[in-house]
Formats: sequence, C-alpha cells, structure tokens
Amino acid sequence: MTKMSVPSLFSLKVNGRNVVVEADPKAPLLYILRNDLALNGPKYGCGLGECGACCILIDGRAVRSCMIPIAAIAKREITTLEGLGDEEHLHPVQQAFIEESGAQCGYCLNGMIISAVALLDRNPDPQETDIREALRHNLCRCGTHIEILAAVRKAVVLSKAASSASAHSVVPETQA
Amino acid sequence: MTVGRDSPKSSYLAASDMLAVVSASLPDAELYIAIDAEGRVTAFNGHVDLGTGIRTSLAQIVAEELDMLFENVEMVLGSTSAVPNQGATIASETIQVTAKPLQRAAATARQYLLRRAAERLQLPPENLVVEDGIIRAVTGENRSLSFGDLVTGANVQLVLDPEAPLKPVADYRIVGSSRPRVDIPAKATGRWTYVHDVRLPGMLHGRVVRPPYAGFDHGAHVGTSLISVDESSVEHIPGLVAVVAIGDFVGVVATREENAAEAAKSLKAVWRLPPELPDLNSPEEALRANPSTPRKLADRGNVDLALEGAANAMDRTYVWPYQMHGSIGPSCAVADYRDDRLTVWSGTQNPFPMRKDLSVLLDMPEESITVERLEAAGCYGRNCADDVTADAALLSRAVGQAVRVQLTREQEHAWEPKGAAQVIDVRGGLDLEGGPAGYDFETRYPSNLAPTLPLLLTGKISPVADVLQMGDRTAIPPYAYGNLRVTVHDMPPIARASWFRGVSAMPNTFAHESYVDELASAAGVDPIEYRLRYLQDPRAVDLVRATAERAKWVPHTGPGTLGGEGDLLYGRGFAYAVYVHGKFPGTAAAWAAWVADVAVNRKTGEIAVTKVTCGQDSGLMINPDGVRHQIHGNIIQSTSRVLKEQVGFSSTAVTSKEWGGYSLITFPEVPDIDVLMIPRPDEPPLGVGESASVPSAAAIANAVFDATGIRFRELPLTPERVLAGLNGKEIEKTVSPVRRRRWWTMGVPVVGILSAVAGLATMASPWRPAISSVDKPDPNVYSAVTIERGRLAAAAGACNVCHVGTDGRAFAGGRRFDTPFGAVYATNITSDPENGIGNWSYPAFERAMRQGISRDGHHLYPAHPYTSFAGAEEADLQALYAFMMTQAPVAQKAPETKLAFPYSIRSMMAGWNAMFLKAAPFSYDQAKDAVWNRGAYLVETLGHCSACHTERNVLGAEKTGKARLSGGFADGWEAPALNALAKGPVTWTETAFYDYLRSGYARDHGSAAGPMADVVSALAPLPDSDIRAMAVYLSRLNTSPASETPDVQTQAAITASATASEQAARISPKGARIFEGACASCHEGNSILSPLTLNSNLHSDVPDNVLQVLMNGVEAPAILAETTGRGAPEVMSMPAFRDVLDKGQMEDLTAYLRARFAPGKEAWAGTGPAIDHIKSMVH
Repeated sequence: MTKMSVPSLFSLKVNGRNVVVEADPKAPLLYILRNDLALNGPKYGCGLGECGACCILIDGRAVRSCMIPIAAIAKREITTLEGLGDEEHLHPVQQAFIEESGAQCGYCLNGMIISAVALLDRNPDPQETDIREALRHNLCRCGTHIEILAAVRKAVVLSKAASSASAHSVVPETQA
Repeated sequence: MTVGRDSPKSSYLAASDMLAVVSASLPDAELYIAIDAEGRVTAFNGHVDLGTGIRTSLAQIVAEELDMLFENVEMVLGSTSAVPNQGATIASETIQVTAKPLQRAAATARQYLLRRAAERLQLPPENLVVEDGIIRAVTGENRSLSFGDLVTGANVQLVLDPEAPLKPVADYRIVGSSRPRVDIPAKATGRWTYVHDVRLPGMLHGRVVRPPYAGFDHGAHVGTSLISVDESSVEHIPGLVAVVAIGDFVGVVATREENAAEAAKSLKAVWRLPPELPDLNSPEEALRANPSTPRKLADRGNVDLALEGAANAMDRTYVWPYQMHGSIGPSCAVADYRDDRLTVWSGTQNPFPMRKDLSVLLDMPEESITVERLEAAGCYGRNCADDVTADAALLSRAVGQAVRVQLTREQEHAWEPKGAAQVIDVRGGLDLEGGPAGYDFETRYPSNLAPTLPLLLTGKISPVADVLQMGDRTAIPPYAYGNLRVTVHDMPPIARASWFRGVSAMPNTFAHESYVDELASAAGVDPIEYRLRYLQDPRAVDLVRATAERAKWVPHTGPGTLGGEGDLLYGRGFAYAVYVHGKFPGTAAAWAAWVADVAVNRKTGEIAVTKVTCGQDSGLMINPDGVRHQIHGNIIQSTSRVLKEQVGFSSTAVTSKEWGGYSLITFPEVPDIDVLMIPRPDEPPLGVGESASVPSAAAIANAVFDATGIRFRELPLTPERVLAGLNGKEIEKTVSPVRRRRWWTMGVPVVGILSAVAGLATMASPWRPAISSVDKPDPNVYSAVTIERGRLAAAAGACNVCHVGTDGRAFAGGRRFDTPFGAVYATNITSDPENGIGNWSYPAFERAMRQGISRDGHHLYPAHPYTSFAGAEEADLQALYAFMMTQAPVAQKAPETKLAFPYSIRSMMAGWNAMFLKAAPFSYDQAKDAVWNRGAYLVETLGHCSACHTERNVLGAEKTGKARLSGGFADGWEAPALNALAKGPVTWTETAFYDYLRSGYARDHGSAAGPMADVVSALAPLPDSDIRAMAVYLSRLNTSPASETPDVQTQAAITASATASEQAARISPKGARIFEGACASCHEGNSILSPLTLNSNLHSDVPDNVLQVLMNGVEAPAILAETTGRGAPEVMSMPAFRDVLDKGQMEDLTAYLRARFAPGKEAWAGTGPAIDHIKSMVH
C-alpha cells in the first residue's frame, strides 16, 4: 500500500453528529475515532482486520475500523459502541451483555456487541449456529464465549420486546 | 481527554472527616480502607484486576465485613501512590492471600465504628447491630447512627488489628452471592477507561522498533545488535518529533498516532544478524540440550528396584509446545516525565516491581515515580505491559512530554514472554497386581520471570538468563505411588518465557493424568476407578466421584465403547488436578476435575471437543457467578491451547506474529460446558483463576484415546498430528506442478540479442537525427475542445500511471520499473522545457509516440509502448500534445535509465524496431459496428492493453498471434489473459469488463488491484460510451464463450470450492489455519466481496498476483470507486502481510488458497522464489 500523503479535511457523520477532521487520507478510521473524537469504544487489537476488537457499524454493517482508510468513508454513516446507547439508555444488546456478564477483561466486548447488533439487524431471530457464525471472527482470549452467547440469545429476546414496545407506543401517535 | 489517576494515599490520610485503616508498619504505613463522611468506603489492594472480576469480589469482602451496602464500596487496585505493596498479581493469590489484610482492616473499622456508636448512643455494643452501614439499637429504641455520622468531624487513623473479630461465615449475605460485575456497564457502553484510552493534554504518540531477535531476551547480542539508524528515512513524515536509539532500544515519537506508526514502519535501521537457535518448533531436543540442574522434589520407596521388577515397563515422554498469552489488545502505556518526576499509566500486572524497574532504567529514586494502574486487555501471566511502560518512560524522557506508546500486534505476539515448552519423562509400569510399580517423573521447564525488555535493550541489566525454580508446580503426582521419584531440571529460558496460566502445573498434569490413564488401561481397570484406588485426599475423592456422577460416567476398561458414526469416532476422557502454586512445596488452589467428550474425524483428523463437564472445589466462593465464569474461561482457553496453539519459530526469531500464525478457538468450536461447583462455604476461599485449566490436556488426550485407541503425548492436537497418528504416515504431497516462466526469471540470451541486432544492422540505420528544440507553445493557441480531447487521450493511455512523479505530481516521472534488462525510469513528460518535453515540437512528440525516438535522437526502450501508440489517430496525438503542453510544468529531473551493457546501447533499439515496430495506422474493420471499432481502437492503440497483457519474447517485444492479449507480466504483476485463455471460472462478459474498467470491481471476478487499479483510476475521465466500447471489444476477443451463464458458472465454482475445502486443509493444514485466522474474517460470509474462487488470480498458472496482494495489500475498493465516481460498498482495505507472515507461512497459505479456491488446478511451483522477488522489489 502506498505511503502517507498530504493531510486533508474529511467530513464524517459519527453517531448522528457531523464532524470534520484533518488527517492523512490513509489514516485508519480507528485512530480518528479514538484520538480525534475520543470515542474509546472501538479498540485496537491487531491492525489487520483479524480480531474484531475495533468493530464499528457503517450503514448498519459491522466492519473493522482498523482497516478503513478515512478516505474510503465518504458519506456513509458511522456508529460506534457509544452511539448505541449510554448507561441511562441502553441498547437492548448492551443491556443483554450487562445482564449476562458478557465480559471478563472486556477488551473484545465492543466487537462482540457491534457484531451482535449487526446480526440482529439482518436476522432478528438467529439460531445458535447463526450466532456462533456471526461471532466467529471476533476473538476473545479470556474464554467468555459462554456468557457472550448467552448475552446474544438474551439480546434476541430483549430486541423483540423493545421493537414490539416501540411499535405499541407509536400506534396511538399515528392514530392521533 | 481521558485521564485516569487515583488519588494518592496521602490525600486520604490528610482528609478531615475520614476514617482510615492502616498497617502498623510506620513510618510508611500502608492504607487498606478509607471511610468518608458520606459513609462511602474506598478499599485498597495491591493486586490488580486482570479481567477475573476481583474488583467486584474484593468489594464484596469489604462490604460483608463492614455490614454495609456493596454499592458503596469502591476498590482502588494497583496504583503505587495509593495501594499497599502486595507484589505481583500472580498464582491465583488475590482472594487467597492479599484479600486477608483487607478483610481484617474492614473488621478493624467495623469494631471501631461499633465502639464509637456505643459511646455516642450510650448503649452497650452488644445491643447494637450494623446493617447496610447503619448502626442501630436492637433493644427497641429508635436510635441509629450511620458510618458517615461517626466519621464526620475527625481524621482517625486506625492501625489494622490482626485480632479484630471476623464475621462468622454463617452470617454472610454479600459474600457467597453472585453480585454483578461492577465494571461491565461502563465497558459495554464505551465509557470505561482502559490504559489504552488515557489521553493527556499535549500527549504525543510513540512506537517502538524492536530488534530482529524477536522473542529472545538473553545472550551477548541482546542490547548490542543495532549498527545504525537512518533518521533521514523518516524525516518526511509529518509531525515527527524524535527518533530515539539507546543500545537496541529504538523508538519514534510523532504528534499523531498514524504518523508514529508510519515512522516506525519506514525507519531504516541496520542490525547485526541474530544468532541461530535450536529448533523450537519440535522443542524436545532443544529442551534436553538446554543446560540444567536436577532438583529432587520427592524420593520415596525404591524406584529403580521397583521398576526393574515391573511386569511391563512403560516409559513415556510428554511434550508441551511454546504457547502465548495472546492478550487481545497489544500492550499500551502512557508516560509523563517532567521535573525529574515520572508518572506512568500502565496495565502492569506488577505495579511495585514495575516501579523498581523504572527506577533502574531511568536512574531515579522510586519515590519520584508513580505507577497509575489501569485495566488492560486480559493477561494470563505476563505480557508486554511492563515492556511498553518502560518504552513510554524512555520516550517521554527523550522528548520531555507525555508520550503514549502502543505496541503493534506483531510486537506483542513476538515479544510477549511465552508460556514455555516443557518435556516430561515418566518411567513406570505395572506391578504383578496391576498396580503402579513405580513412578519416576522428570520435568524440564525453561522459563524465568522475563526481565522487562527495555532494561535489556538499553544494557541497564546484563542479558544473562536467570534460572528460577518454577518447573515444580503440581510436579508431585496426586496418587499414592509407593515408589516415587520426582525431579525437576531447573534451567534458564531459551525463548523469552514467563508464567502463563497454570504455569508448569498444566504440562506436569498432562503427564500425570495421561500416564495414570495408561496404567488403568494396561491394568484393564476403568480409569476413574483406578485413580480412586490411589487418591487419598478426601476432598479430591469427593470431587472425582461427584464429577463422574454429574457426567454420567460409564465405567469401561478399553477404548471404543462409545462407537461413532460416519467418519466420526466418539470418546470421553477424565483428568483431575489440584493446582499447586508458589515456591515448592507451594500452596494448593482449587481442585478441578474434567470429563471431556470428543468427536474425532478420522478422515480430516479434526477433533471437536463437544462437551466438558467440570467439577471444582473452590472452598468458600466469594462470588459464585464469578467463579463459574472463571471456570468457563479456563475450559475454553485451555481447550484452545490443547487443540490449536503452538508458537512458530524461524532459526532466529518467533514467526507467529498475528492470529493466522497463532490460532485461537472460535465460537463455533466452543464446547458445551457443564460446571459443578462443590459447596464448601466453611472452607477458606481458594484461588480459581487457573485451576480448571490444569486437567484439560490429559482429559482431552484421554478422550481421543478412548475414541481412537491412540495415545497422543505431544500437543497441540492439530488435524495433521492426529491424522499422522491415525494413519501412521505423512499427508500426501502433490507432485510436479506446472511452472510458467516469468520474464523476471527468464535469462535473456545476451549473445542472441547481440547477434540478432548485428544481423539487422545493415537493414536499419540506428542513427536518428535530433529534432530542434522549440520554444514552449503558447497554451492559448489550443482550443478547449482540443485540450479536452487530449485529456481523454491521456486518460485512455493512462499516461500518468507510469509517468506520475514519485511525490505524486502528475507526469513528473521517476517511477522505477524493473525489467529483465534492468531498471527503467519513467521520464518527466510535463511541459517543463528543461526536464520535461516543454521544448519539444509536435513532430518530435509524434516521433517519440509512434517510433520511440526521443527528440534528441536517442532511442527509447519499449517500456514506452510506442508500438501501440503508432496506430493512434493523428488528431488524438495532436490533442494529447496540446493537453500536455497546457499542463503544469514540474522542474524536476527524473532519474536516468541506465541499463547494463549491452542493453545500454540504445542504438540497438533500431534493429529491435525493425523487427517489432509496425508503424501502420489503426485499421478499422468495416464488418464490425462502430462501437466495436471504437473499443478496438482504444484497446489496441491509446489504451495499449497489450503492453502488459501480452507476453514478451526474449527481446522484450510483445509476442504476436495466439499470444496476443493472452496474458503477460508487468511491474511484478501478472496481467492476465483478456481472451478465451482467461483462467477464471466465469467468462468475462461485456458487463463484467464494463463494471471492472468503470468501477474497479466486477461481481464475478473481484476487485482491481496493483497497477490495474491505477489504470481504472486513470480511465475515470473517459465517457461511459468509451468504456462500454472497450468492454464490447474485449468481451468479443473470446470467440468461443462458455455456453453456461455466468450465474451457473459462479455457482459451479462456489460448489467446487466448498467441496475442496477439506482436501485443501489436508494439503496445507497450516495454510488452512492462517486462512481462518487472517483471511476469513473478511473473505468468508461477506456478501460484498466476490468469493475468492471467482478471482482469476487464484486460477492463474503462477502465484504472483496472489502474493502481491498478500504481501502488499489492496486499498479499499471504495476509494477506487470514489475516484471513478461510482459507489462500491467495501470500505475496508486488505492489509499488507509482508511483515507479519514469513516466507514459510506465505507458502503454506498460498498452497491452501490454490487448493481450496482453484480446485482441480495443479499446485503452484516457484512460490518461494516469487516471494523473494516481490520482497526485493522497490515498493
């Protein structure tokens, strides 16, 4: 891959917010998110797209931000772990991981949650093998797999509950 | 900005309204507990949380002993300014050892608070109870005081009372309950601050460059191998602050992280060659040869005599490989050195030893150093956390500012102190009654504490390896062998090594528990029953029985009772151990027993551990869920170690530098787990961080024996090892692959070319006149329409792909092309009169374009494709001239091409031209339509596709006839055939060509990379109609397209590849693992990228393009698509693996890729030389 070139300005949409950063076009998005935007959810794990610790969502798809040159993003929407929810407003997947203690050291947790969110987005009712395949290339070294699998199974339930709850709450408004 | 800094001890001790419990060791008393006026408790422990959840468990202990709300206790762990010095966090000691003073401190505080409350309420203490931090009377009066009330108004320092009464276990409410982990909510929302997340004002970014002896830390070359560092090699990098070299320590500092990373990658350092090492891939021989001192741990009965009389002697050797901790996050630290003080933010497992190391490294007193300990990625012994802390300290001192250093994945992999290999010999046998005759156990474990690396690299400590006594963990077998001798051969490390979860106990138990299984089998007794005959520890007996019952163990005396189905053989194995840690004879942690169920595929050699039933006796469990999670973690991690993990070595260094070269277990492979936790609330709590790992290897190996009847005594149990064991033979090797010669390997017959040229000398005069220089034409003479036509001609010719300046300026020249005749440099073709073509007249330009003669009369080499341009229309060349003359001049001379004799004789090109240059205008084919003709014109003249896509003869001329557009080589890449000879499984249709040329991506073929990506980018200005015309012409080059549709071809290829995957894994098992770890994350289950089996490069006769891509990476397709104005969804680039996979790994991977994705095609030969060639290319 070619060497660094002249820094340029890039407008990004991250967690619903528009930001402008100045960086080398080849700079990995991971560094931009962490160092320029102080979004610490995505973690540096391998810099080779192998482990999944740096996962983010781009247009809803789980991708590895260590391998994304900032110049490749253009107008795509970026969501990080922070953008899913905070402790007061947890995303159902985050809530499931907390309830099932889906972390030991927690360094891989970001990638697990992001990959689970992407999975449930494309398949709201995954089977056990779907879940295991979806997380296949997210590495965990502590051996938290059992709790993580339980968390994703719980996330399926919580997500369904959340979507039916929001559907109910929308009905009166639309009728009104 | 994120700064994690714990308040120092002094601030707690000085605070008004604070109750502190301190140690008696004045003047520098340690602080254990601080209670403030709000009734909140801060508790301090010298050990750190490595992801095991001790932050939560310790808070439970404190809350319990104080009878207060768990939520109101906060733990401070590890920071040297605040916590007691309790040494390194090792050996599952935290709960068992370091929690004790903390518990007593809480009891001391509780006792004091009760007494104070009694005074204030004027009631006898026995009439008071403490509930949730409130002390109230039990005698009916409605009177109470909170801890906060009692603390308010005074600064009290209590000395820890070792006799302070502890609560009876029966009264426990918090301890023994599964409190949720306190840290997970913040971690699940990205709000937790790991050491990686620390950011200080003005902080700079550092990277280190490590020496070539990767993963080895002793010997005279350590610290003395650096010859030179060329700072000018990185001076172009923006924001570079410093290059630091001290001994063999090399680091760079820059303002931005990506620039520091680039500087570390680009920095040219010259090192001495590292010394050759013994082969550590099969470590047995190296360990036996390693100097050692025997240390006898046990000698009872008369082993030698007993073994002489044994009915059947059974001498066995067990071999454990080098393994790695493999923290998911490479280590990171921040250091701030200023005003003769140093603060480091560190993920160290050993804050106080770390501070001492820093004091030695920087020649400063320990009192001037603060280690702030923050959590890092999980570590299971010793990773590079201390190394990187020292790295950061050195770089911060050099620049006088805060510096954050992040190690790379390959540095963490290569340099982390490994879990050492181990060799264990057992001599024994059965006596006449089938009992164990004797047991002579010898173990070799080459490991020490792995000194902090920068101390060695800078020469601060001598690179002489210490010998430590660490091979003795669980070396004493648990069975009552009457004649027993246990010897540890204490030895220094070979590769850099330190403790790794289970330390030497895990391999020692692999031997003990495999061996007892063999004894049982030889004696014809059920393996559990046999163990119970000789197991005397009652808690162990209880555990073994309970675990067997839980797993519904069916007694059996030989293998094969579980049968199988299809290619699968089922088996089940048992093992038991108590993990003994610390200095011999050591301390026992929790007891653990495993029943492992496996399915062994006799065709592929794969082992699936389908279920593990694990019983554990942990004594009192502070947090049962926490214990259960530790057991799960141990089972999964140790299963991974047993089945998959082994560090690879070259003759000088570690070669496992990423997850392809060191595989971990993945989710689909995780076994079902059933945990049985024996309730022992009245027994002291035991460490649970490692115990459940210890029986793993023997349980699995015993299960494999049960399934197959074959004993495996060396790990890991990879498919190739299992297959070899099952078949007793090597895996079939593929034979006699085809080898197509590439033009860089072609010896060009010098004599031939000379004689050919001599023969032609009479036919063509080599001498051409110069054409006079002219003043640069006035740009205003050209119409906008002409200039635009020229711009498109330049686009069609992709002139800037070759003539681009080395600094990126258009047409400035200087790019180097390696040809068989030597290096050719592209010229400056900007309108600069001095260095470019600004003083060329149109006739001079046209002659260069059509005949390959420079303005001054010298011959150009045919790297300039004038043989194609010769047919271009006059109007296009005129417009191109106009365009070039109106572009910005670049006053920069491109390097001159200087080929070696005889190619340096440019006049020889006259003869060449006479042979190969057909200077005829392009002839349109009236039988074809206009679109086809337009496409043909673009492809054959301006586009000069044949320059790359046609093979060249020994004289460097494009071959003709069938060879035309049938594939060639350029710039180290194969340019594949564009006609019916295209190798991919799917026919190139007009649509595919169009998509590919327009956006750089075709669904059925993949993405453009290398020089072709540049060509696609260059073609961007052309109208769609021109791209379409080229696609029409190119698609019709194939006059006999396949009858199947591309969809059918695609499906057939995907099916064939899926069918081939098993065979491919047998052909290249290591390649299969590298693919799974390094490639599959993007190339499998990705609907955006084309399946690899459709990629022409995998079907080619040569591996060059595949290697180019593997070694140098591919830029995100979205970038190329953006430059062409088209969207493409894949935003991820492919990384360059040239620095992380070595030649052997590349060969393994390439062999796998070929076998799996081009099934039926012959294996590639010449991969090794092709790798060398690509490595040697200037990149």
